[in-house]
Amino acid sequence: MSLKTEKLSKTYGSGLLGKGKCIFRDVSFELEPGKTFGLMGPSGEGKSTLGRIIAGLESPTEGTIHFKGSLLSGMKKAEYVTFRRRVQMMFQDPTDAFNPRKRIEHSIFEVLKLLETPGTEHVRRTEEMLKTIGLPEEVLSRYPAQLSGGQLQRLALGRILLLEPEYIVLDEPTSALDVSVQAQILHLLKKVQAEQGIGYLLISHDEAVVRFMSGKMGILENGKLKVVN
Amino acid sequence: MMQEEAYVGENTIQESKIQKSTNQENTLQESTIRKNIILESTRQWKDFLSLNLNLDLRKYERNLKRFNRGGLCLFTFFIILALFPALFAPYSPTERFIPYEAPSTAHLLGTNDIGNDILSELVHGARISMMVGFASACISTLIGLMIGLFSGYFRGTLDELLMGFTDVVLIIPKIPLIIILGAFLRPSIWILILVLGLLSWESIARVIRSKTLQIREAGYVKSARCMGFSSFHIMVSDIFPNLFHVLLPKFMLATASAMISEASLSFLGLGDISMKSWGIMLSFAFSRGGFIRDMWWWYLPPGICITLCVMSIALIGFGFEGREKENGKRGVDAE
Repeated sequence: MSLKTEKLSKTYGSGLLGKGKCIFRDVSFELEPGKTFGLMGPSGEGKSTLGRIIAGLESPTEGTIHFKGSLLSGMKKAEYVTFRRRVQMMFQDPTDAFNPRKRIEHSIFEVLKLLETPGTEHVRRTEEMLKTIGLPEEVLSRYPAQLSGGQLQRLALGRILLLEPEYIVLDEPTSALDVSVQAQILHLLKKVQAEQGIGYLLISHDEAVVRFMSGKMGILENGKLKVVN
Repeated sequence: MMQEEAYVGENTIQESKIQKSTNQENTLQESTIRKNIILESTRQWKDFLSLNLNLDLRKYERNLKRFNRGGLCLFTFFIILALFPALFAPYSPTERFIPYEAPSTAHLLGTNDIGNDILSELVHGARISMMVGFASACISTLIGLMIGLFSGYFRGTLDELLMGFTDVVLIIPKIPLIIILGAFLRPSIWILILVLGLLSWESIARVIRSKTLQIREAGYVKSARCMGFSSFHIMVSDIFPNLFHVLLPKFMLATASAMISEASLSFLGLGDISMKSWGIMLSFAFSRGGFIRDMWWWYLPPGICITLCVMSIALIGFGFEGREKENGKRGVDAE
């Protein structure tokens, strides 16, 4: 039931002109449900790129991703759609996590519509979700610009949880927040993980954050991944 | 201590002055009180309206402030002119009187070579000039939006192809091409609209592409892609609404430049003479003796109208752009 990568490589800028720049090579690791894999390393080493590849936003230059035993590149369309919903990504900047022109409720209901939840269920599901992330119902009628970074990051997590994901790629989920809010978000993430058994790939600069969250840890440096326990 | 003394001293000196001016002050105070009362009562009225009739005037006011007011007034005037020419024109534009008449009370701007009333012609020309402007701007904005959105969103090979095509269109000299086309095709306003629209979308496409590339990297687009929303859905509901504030000023400027192009082409004699726009009026004034006879009331008004109309549209565009930029800086994009 795990998400496994084998010998992933990514090269940028390869094309008709030049060979491009290799970001990382032969990266293999495994994400397990209910556990966190912390990914650390200096800037520009491709941590975020790796995260995006896992979440399906980019394709690797070489290597394979196995999701529940089947190969990602060989998936049929229906299978790929389920993969898309089961593996989600949460981003660094909460201020652009929601469409600035739409009310929060629009962005939330949009996801429920995508999941083909019946219209009568929308309010109940949303209420449940708000309870999980600990926010009052007033936030629904606001625009993103009227909410704080911490609230938005909670909502971003809540929206992802509506899809009932099995894995979430957390791309520096707390580095745009101040310290007290960081702690709240990390506790929330831990709580959700314990309740729903979600596997995290936590990308962070901050060793303390990674140590707080994760069992396994990898350091991406000079294009290689070094796994430490 | 020093400061206090100085203050006291000043006070004693000014006391006499103050007594003299109490009368003045009283009247001043009265007027400010009256002003405040008026302001208060309008505020109450607005509250009353917004509460009881669900008519939020403040929201409209806020929206109005986004536009440049002077431009908006001028523009509204021209729009009314274009929509209801019969209200302003004293005669039908095809009615014939004595030709080459100077301005008089019967004909405020005189008559032209075949005896048409110039004021009526001018008023009726507004509709055609503005229609050409808006219709061709609609075409060019639509094409520019499509091409910009697709190449910015899908990137890669499609982007390179579309942008290459855009560059090719960009280096085509517009006016000479339109002159050649106009010479081969029969003069018609629809062909003019189509040609102007099809040849002026490149700058819109480039702006939209760069903005799309920027929005594409925003968290909400990335997470929508993660969640498996279709590209169409993302483009329509996430990217397009956020492009709007770039698109509207561009649309306005495209309208303005299309109107200018129409006027210059018509002046060169490539317009549709059955539909008299301001450019055609200028052209006729030039070719049928308006300039030679020094009939400024014939050639000046259409020129002024073109200038003012283009200016009002451009002002609205600029005003909107500036307002949006300010809003963006303050982070109240949503309102």
